[in-house]
Amino acid sequence: MNLPKRHIIVGAIALTLIAAACSSDDDTGSTDTTAAEGDAAESDNTDTATGSNVSGSLFVSGSSTVEPISIAVGNAFADANPDVAITVQGPGTGDGFAQFCAGETDISDASRPIKPAEVETCAENGIDFVELKVAVDGLSVITSAENDSVECLSFVDLYALLGPDALGVNNWSDATEVAAAVADTVTDLGAVHTPYPDADLAVTAPGEESGTFDSFVEIVIEEVGDELGVEDANVRPDYTASPNDNVIIEGVSANPTSLGWVGYAFVEENLDVVKPLQIDGGEGCVAPTPETIATGEFPIARDLYIYVSMPALDANEALAPFVDYYLGTGIGELVGPGDGQVPYVPLSTEDMAEVVAVWEARETGTREG
Amino acid sequence: MALSSPASIGGGTSRAMTAGLTGKSFDVKSKMVEAALVLTLAASMLILLVLIVDLLATSWPLWTDRPGDFLTGSLNSANAQSAGVWQGIKGTLMLCLVVMVVAFPLGVACAVYLEEYSSGSRFAKWTRINVRNLAGVPSIVYGLLGLAIFVNAIGGFTGGRTVFAGGLTLAALVLPIVVITTSEALRAVPRPIREGAFGVGATQWEVVKDHVLPAAAPGILTGTVLSLARAAGEAAPILLVGAATGLLRTGNQSFVEQLTGPFTAMPVVIFSYARQPDDAFREATAAASVVLLALVLLMNALAIWLRNRYDRKW
Repeated sequence: MNLPKRHIIVGAIALTLIAAACSSDDDTGSTDTTAAEGDAAESDNTDTATGSNVSGSLFVSGSSTVEPISIAVGNAFADANPDVAITVQGPGTGDGFAQFCAGETDISDASRPIKPAEVETCAENGIDFVELKVAVDGLSVITSAENDSVECLSFVDLYALLGPDALGVNNWSDATEVAAAVADTVTDLGAVHTPYPDADLAVTAPGEESGTFDSFVEIVIEEVGDELGVEDANVRPDYTASPNDNVIIEGVSANPTSLGWVGYAFVEENLDVVKPLQIDGGEGCVAPTPETIATGEFPIARDLYIYVSMPALDANEALAPFVDYYLGTGIGELVGPGDGQVPYVPLSTEDMAEVVAVWEARETGTREG
Repeated sequence: MALSSPASIGGGTSRAMTAGLTGKSFDVKSKMVEAALVLTLAASMLILLVLIVDLLATSWPLWTDRPGDFLTGSLNSANAQSAGVWQGIKGTLMLCLVVMVVAFPLGVACAVYLEEYSSGSRFAKWTRINVRNLAGVPSIVYGLLGLAIFVNAIGGFTGGRTVFAGGLTLAALVLPIVVITTSEALRAVPRPIREGAFGVGATQWEVVKDHVLPAAAPGILTGTVLSLARAAGEAAPILLVGAATGLLRTGNQSFVEQLTGPFTAMPVVIFSYARQPDDAFREATAAASVVLLALVLLMNALAIWLRNRYDRKW
């Protein structure tokens, strides 16, 4: 047999090439860093608090709603500090707190305040935290852009159409009686906007794992349920659920008389296919706009938070400069209605000053519970 | 085969023979079957063509606008303008490295034992059946295995949600494939090669090391590279293991730090970009798909080249 070892060796070399390709990318990675340094100089001018000598690695996880803010801020921070490695994930507020309280993350993004049970878990593991509000997100109730029959819905309407009593209701007009019954008891959360159209009611909305789902339930359904004396009122279970806002937009736009809800940011980008409804929370119909959401005039809005781990603050020297940057240049320049900004509503100047004061004093614990 | 039936002879001959035997000059049925087969072939090629053309067309603005930027940019699923694939390419290659270092020696060793040391035994037959079944286990199940074992149970060793844990998960996924392809390659080595070596007094190990393995090397390498391509294309298992989907900036971390730090990979990058509502991400998604396709096709091309370059006929 004329088959020397050469063949194995040549073959092995070929495979090693792949390996070499893997390890060599480390060198190429520095090209990336050099490119980033150009931006660094630029960013340094705008924020003198951020030196480019910060190093370390940061792990941010939590709400997929806050994720875009943390990504934008994290990316800008990494541009300004080439030695910092940073990872941002968005598995959801609940999952985020689970990781946070297990000490796996430095910062937890949240689209709702931390729950008492989560505070307890954190305490058991010795995780103190600083709670910082960073922006406001308006939830929008949406229907297809083709739907001319509905303009405004009150909390009472939403409870009748989407609440627990709506189970099995496939036509808007079938919710009329429930709405009337609810309106008998609940008088301060908006009038009933009957007659509802005699048309299909197809609901597409976030699934239970989503912070957007929690917020809708807490702000609208539980609010009405409390006044009705219904304990733990929840959304009807028979709707099309998706964790993906894009899929929800598609689902709502696919049916001309659909109904659903998503974060306002996703509506703004899709105004050609979906129509955000005006909402009456007891003080008349208000359309969701950046202004009405920031002032709190639009009734379905929620605050967005980051939670900073105190133990991580001691252990990770990159964390404090990062949070400084986050509250300063970060949300100052990267959150807002402008081009290239994360489309949430920034806090008012006074609220922002308050948040910065909380951070400077490292005040631990939640103020929202 | 000593006796040839008409069916086993090439197309033209068999047609002439059938025509001669049946006395018909033109066989309508055969022609219809042939046409149907060509149609199915055309349909499957068309699907592939449409996919590639669509991906290229969708991503074209990005390739003309900022190709270098995109290839060297970081994972960023908030801003389509600064979204890139560099971390994904790096992650996929690092995963492949771990897979190769772990699955290649393990898989080849398993196959050598099964084929050369215990080929006739009941144990070997039983194991072979199980390995074939393992190769058919859905990848998401391997993801759960990776999460339970490589991330949680031995997280202290792998560092938790790291390239290392992801690579081990993918190695477990492709290990049965490596065993099977290596077994096939070993079985394709003619018996006389072994008998000749045994005949001049070689030991079992010498036969394997000096004769069987070199002869089977092209097949083994081809199979390994193909299984690497499979590993490179898997999204579900490494998503479960915890690949980054939002933002990943690795700064100037060293190779070892990256191996034991957060990671992402091309299929996960595509997944992350595909679920963004922003229209601009459609381009980025298509462009990232093109990059992954190119990576996988490159690996497949390498496998074909290896096979053609070193293949032996007996």
